[in-house]
Amino acid sequence: MKIPRFTYHRPATEEEALAMLTEFGEDAKVLAGGQSLIPLMALRLSRPAHLIDIGGLRELAAIRERSGTVSVGAAVRHVEVERSALVARAAPLAAAAMPHIGHGAIRNRGTACGSLAHADPAAELPAVALAAGASFVVRRASGERTVPASEFFLGYLTCDMGPDELLVEWRLPTWPVTAGWSVQEVSRRHGDFALLGMAAMIDTDPVGRISTAALSLFGAASTPIRVDAAEKLLTGEPPSAALFDEAAEIVKGQLDPPGDLHGTAAYRKHLGAVLTRRCLSEAAGRLGAAA
Amino acid sequence: MREGLAGKYVGAKVRRVEDRRLLTGRGRYIDDLNLPDMAHAAFLRSPYPHAHIRRVDIDSARRMAGVFLVLTGADMARLTNPFLGMMALDGLYDPVFYALATDRVRVVGDPVAIVVAESRRVAEDACELIDVEYEPIAAIANMAQAMDPMRPPIWPRARSNVLWEDSQTYGDVEVAFAGADRVIRERFAQHRQSNQPMETRGSVAEIDPVSGELIFHSATQSAHSLKWSLAFLLERTSVWRSIRELATNREKPRKFVVGARAFIKSHPDLRTATKSSQPAMLKQLRREPKRIVHLSEALLGLLAKDPSRRPRVLAQDIGGAFGAKGLVPREDVALATAALQLGRSVKWIEDRNEHLMVGGQAREETLDIDVAVTSDGTILGLKVHMTMDVGAYPGFPFNGAFFAQMVKVMMPGPYRIGALRFDTTITASNKGTYVPYRGPWAAETWVRERMIDVVARELGIGRADIRLANMIGADELPAAMVTGPPLDVRMSARRTLEEALRVADFDSWDAIRDQARSEGRIVGMGLATFIEAAPGPPKFFDYISPGFSALAGVEPAHAVLEVDGSLSVITQQVPHGQGHETTLAQVAADELGVAVEAVRVRYGDSSITPFSLFGTGGSRSAAMAGGVVTVAAQELRQRVVDIASDLMEASTEDIVIEDGHIHVAGTPAIGVSFAEVAAEAVRRRPGSPSDGAIRVTSEWDGGAGGWAQATHVCWVEIDLDTGLVTIPRYVVVEDCGELINPAIVDGQIRGGVAQGIGAVLYERAAYDGDANFQAGTFMDFLIPTAMEIPDVEIHHLQTPSDIFANYRGVGEGGMIAAPAALTNAIEDALAHLGARITEQHLPPARILELAGVIEAEAPTEVGPPDYSAAAAVPAPRPSLIRERMPTLTPAQAQAVRRTATSVRSGARRFADRYAGRP
Repeated sequence: MKIPRFTYHRPATEEEALAMLTEFGEDAKVLAGGQSLIPLMALRLSRPAHLIDIGGLRELAAIRERSGTVSVGAAVRHVEVERSALVARAAPLAAAAMPHIGHGAIRNRGTACGSLAHADPAAELPAVALAAGASFVVRRASGERTVPASEFFLGYLTCDMGPDELLVEWRLPTWPVTAGWSVQEVSRRHGDFALLGMAAMIDTDPVGRISTAALSLFGAASTPIRVDAAEKLLTGEPPSAALFDEAAEIVKGQLDPPGDLHGTAAYRKHLGAVLTRRCLSEAAGRLGAAA
Repeated sequence: MREGLAGKYVGAKVRRVEDRRLLTGRGRYIDDLNLPDMAHAAFLRSPYPHAHIRRVDIDSARRMAGVFLVLTGADMARLTNPFLGMMALDGLYDPVFYALATDRVRVVGDPVAIVVAESRRVAEDACELIDVEYEPIAAIANMAQAMDPMRPPIWPRARSNVLWEDSQTYGDVEVAFAGADRVIRERFAQHRQSNQPMETRGSVAEIDPVSGELIFHSATQSAHSLKWSLAFLLERTSVWRSIRELATNREKPRKFVVGARAFIKSHPDLRTATKSSQPAMLKQLRREPKRIVHLSEALLGLLAKDPSRRPRVLAQDIGGAFGAKGLVPREDVALATAALQLGRSVKWIEDRNEHLMVGGQAREETLDIDVAVTSDGTILGLKVHMTMDVGAYPGFPFNGAFFAQMVKVMMPGPYRIGALRFDTTITASNKGTYVPYRGPWAAETWVRERMIDVVARELGIGRADIRLANMIGADELPAAMVTGPPLDVRMSARRTLEEALRVADFDSWDAIRDQARSEGRIVGMGLATFIEAAPGPPKFFDYISPGFSALAGVEPAHAVLEVDGSLSVITQQVPHGQGHETTLAQVAADELGVAVEAVRVRYGDSSITPFSLFGTGGSRSAAMAGGVVTVAAQELRQRVVDIASDLMEASTEDIVIEDGHIHVAGTPAIGVSFAEVAAEAVRRRPGSPSDGAIRVTSEWDGGAGGWAQATHVCWVEIDLDTGLVTIPRYVVVEDCGELINPAIVDGQIRGGVAQGIGAVLYERAAYDGDANFQAGTFMDFLIPTAMEIPDVEIHHLQTPSDIFANYRGVGEGGMIAAPAALTNAIEDALAHLGARITEQHLPPARILELAGVIEAEAPTEVGPPDYSAAAAVPAPRPSLIRERMPTLTPAQAQAVRRTATSVRSGARRFADRYAGRP
C-alpha cells in the first residue's frame, strides 16, 4: 500500500515547528523517527495532511543532566539513549529497557520521545516513565507545561497533549543510588512487542526494609499501569522470595489483560505473576548497584 | 562401482554465481522493472468473508484524475474465460469462477475490482471511491461448519461445503485389524500456514507498442504453464467466431492437432488415464452444463488464436515461492486483461497484506488415524481419514485435492505397512486458497512420526526401537509401498535413522532428560524419519493421479555453443532461490571440460526455453534438470569433439577438453578453442547463427529416479513459566544421493527446518470463528528470525552408485520432517505432566495449557465431527441440504445489512489487534 498524499515540512527551529502545529492542528503529525507513524500511514490507518519533521531541530537532540534530572530531548534516537553513559548511571531503568525496543535498525531511527508520545501501551518506555516517576515537558507556541507520567498516558495511543503541542523533553529524576531496577518482558520473538512486560524499581531503608516499590506493567491494559496493591504489600518489608511470590499473586489477581492471537488473557495474567517474581528478584539483586 | 563421487565442480561448494548480483542489489525482480509509460494497478478487495454483491458503483473512481481504467467481475465475465477446475476426481466439485468476483465474494481479500492509474497511490485512492453494496451470508470458518448442512454452500452448485469424499483401500485392512492386539486411535490437526516468500506475487503486463503482443513478466515457478494458462483464460471469443476463424484458416489448428496427436501417441498410458477419468468429467458437466460452453469457448479460442496472441512469459530473479507461485493468480488474468484493454503496460506488485490474505495458504488438514499393532510393536495396518480445508477458490491448475492424493500415497513412508485404508474429505471454507507449500504432502510424515511415538508410549516400547522394528532395511530392498510406488535399493531411510541415533547418542537420552528434570529443567528430544519422492521412482505421479506422469512430462534442455565460443544451458526450470545458475553450470562444466564461469544458464523466457509445464517444484530440479543437463552437455561435447578432431586431424577418441582448452591427448600445447570450433560449425551450417553455432536439445525422463530421505533429531528446552521453547541442538542426517553443491544442499535443508520450526512455534494464518482473517501483517503472522532458529548440524550419507545422474532432491525435506521432530521433542519434554501433542501449532500460551500451568481456552478452529460416531447418523441427502438453506425474512435481511454497515473493515480490525484489544 502507498501512503496517501501529504505535505512534508522540515522546520529549522522549534519556534517554526510550534507555529506550524498551531497552524495545522489536527491535520498535522510530528515526524521524529517515523518507526510507528510511517507504517500506520502506509496501511492508510493514519492520514495526516501535513508531516512536520523535527529531525533538524538540533536544540532538541541532546541528553542532559541538570538539577536532579536526566533530560532526553525530542529528537534523541533510541540508540543514543542506549549508548549514553549518563543514562546508564543516572537512569539505569531506562537503560535496561533499551535492548528490548524493537531491533537495532528500529533503535537507530526511532526516538525515545516519539515512542512516549505515541503512547503504545505495549511499548517499554511509557512503563519505564511511570515506574521512574518521570515527567514530560510539553510546549505550544503560547507556552509550556510539565505533566507527570502518572497523568500523561490517557488511553490507547492517547496521551495528554493537544494537537498544537510538541513533546520537547522527557525528564527522569536522577536515580537514587541505593535502588535496584529491572525491566523484563515476554515476547513471541526477539524484538516483538511484549505480550506482557514490567519495569520495576525497589529501594530499601538503612535497616534493609523496602522503602519504595514501583511495579509498572506494559501490554496489560490500554495504558501502562502501576499495581498499587502489590507496591503497598512490599513497602516496609525486607525483600524475600516469599514476599515476591505474594506480590506476584496480587499482580496476577489485579490484571485484566486482553487476549489475542498471540496469547490468551489467562496466559497474560499468568505472565504477570512470572514477571513480578523475576523483576523483583533481579531488582533486589541490584540494590545499591548504582552507587 | 565408480570410485569417486565428484567431478571437478560437481560435489564442490562452488560459490553461487547469483550472489554477486543479488547481494549487491543488482537483482532484477519484478518490481525492478519499469517500462516507459507504464501504468499501475491496485485491487479493491472484499472486507467480508462471504457476501452477495448487490451493486458495484465505479463512477467516481473512473472519473478521478489519473485513473485510466476500472474493471469489475462483470467485465471479466465478458472479456475472459473463467477458471475451470481440471481435476478429474470422481465426484469432486471443482467450481467455475472469474478473476474478479462477480455476484458474490467468498473470502476476505476476494478481488472485486481492478483500478489502473498513473501511480499505485492514485490507484489505491481510486479504490477507496468504489462503492460496493454487500449483503453478508453466513460464513464457513472451519471444518465443522463446512459439514453443518444448515450452513449455506459457498458454491451453490456443489449443494454442500463437502466438495469430495473418497475411500481407497490397499492390502487387506480387515485381516490386519482382526489380527491386531491393540488398535490405537488419535486425531492430529495441522493448522493453516502460509508460504510467505520474501518477494510477494507480482507481474508486469507489457504491451508491445508496435505489435500489440502481450509480454507477461511474472514471478512464476513455471513460465510455460503460466503462458498457456493465460492463453487459455484471456480474450474470450465466442464459439462461432472461433469456428469461422478456424474454417477460413485451416492451417492454424493443423499444427496444434498434429502436435497433440503425436503427444498422445507417445504416451499410451495417457489414453487409458483419460478414458478412466472420462466418467468423472462427464459428471462434472452434468452438474454444471455451462462448463461445456466455457470449455468450448476457451479451447476453440485457444486453437483459433493467432500464435502471436499467445503471451510470452518472462521470469527473472524471483524472491522465493515455496510452491505459492506455481499456480495462476486470478490477479494476473485481471491485470493482463486491463493491459490488453488499455493497450499499455501495467504493473501490479502484491502487498504483504494481500499476500497474507490471498497469496496462498496451506496445510489445514485433520487426520484421524487408527493403527493396528501387535503387543511387540509391529505395525500391521493403518486406517486414516484425512479432512482437508481447501478454502474458497481452488488453485488453478492444482486443486488442493491433488495434494490429498499425495498424502495418501506417501502415508506408509519407509515403514513396512501392509495394509492401508485412506479416506479423504475435502471441505470448502471462506478462507484463502489452498496452495502447495514446501512438501505439500508433509502431513503423512508429521502424523506417522507423531503416531509412532504415541504407539511406543502406549505399548511401553522405546521410540527408536519401534522405528527400527518397523522400518524397511537394506536387506529387504527392492520393495514397494502398499500404495504402489517401488522402493529401490538406494532407499536408505533406515541408514539415516541408525546414523542419527549414533550422532545423537540416543541411548543415553532418557537418563539425561530425567537428570535435567530432577534439576527442575524441562527438556525433550524428538526423532522423525521421512522419504521423499524427489523425483521418485519412474512414473511416480501416476500413483497420485493416473496419466499425470505424462502431463508432468520429461525434462528438456538445450545446450548451446554460441557463435562467439561461449556456452549456454537453456532450461525450463524457473529458479527462485535454489541456485540453478550455479548448479546446472557445475554439471555442464564438468561434462564439457570448461570452467564453471564459462557456462551461462538461461531460463524464464517462454520464447527461448524448451517446453515443459512443470517449471520448478517438487524437489525435482537436481534429479531432472541435473540429469538432462548432463545428457545435453555430453551430446554437445561430442559435437564439439567431432569438429575439433577434423580441425586437428586427429581421431575423436584422442581429443581431450581440459580447462576450456581442446587438444589432442599428450600434446596440450597444440589445440583449438571453443570459438574456433564455433566458427567452423557456422561455416559448415550457413544460415541464421542466432540459434548458436551448435545447439543440442535433450530430454531426460528421470531414469531410475529414486528417493531422498533423512532423519531429524530435535532437542528442546521449555520454560514452564513462559511457555517459550528453545532449541539447543538440531541434527539432520540425510541422503539425497550425490551432492552437486553441498553448500546449496545445506542451505535448502536449513531453510526447510526454519520453516518447519516456524510452523510449530510461530506461524499461523488465523481466522476467527466467522472467517474474518486475523493475520494480515507480519505483526500477526510471525516468521522466525535468525534469533529464533538454531544452528542445524547436517550429516550427509552419500553412497556411490553406477546409476546415471544419481542426484535426488532436497528442497522440501527439511520442512517435511521438522514439525514432526519438534513436536515429538515437545511431547517428550512434557510427557511427565500428561501433555499429549495432537496439534501442530504450539505457541507459548498453548504450551502452558498443555502442561497444565494455565487454563485452556476453546480454539476457533474446529475439526470435523468424530467420524466413528458420525457413521451412525445418516448423512443428509443433497436435496435436503438445499431445502434447508436458510432464506432470510425481509426483517432478517434488514438486520444483516445493518450489521454490515457497522462491521469494521479489515484495516480497522488490524488497528484493534495492533492495540491489543480483543
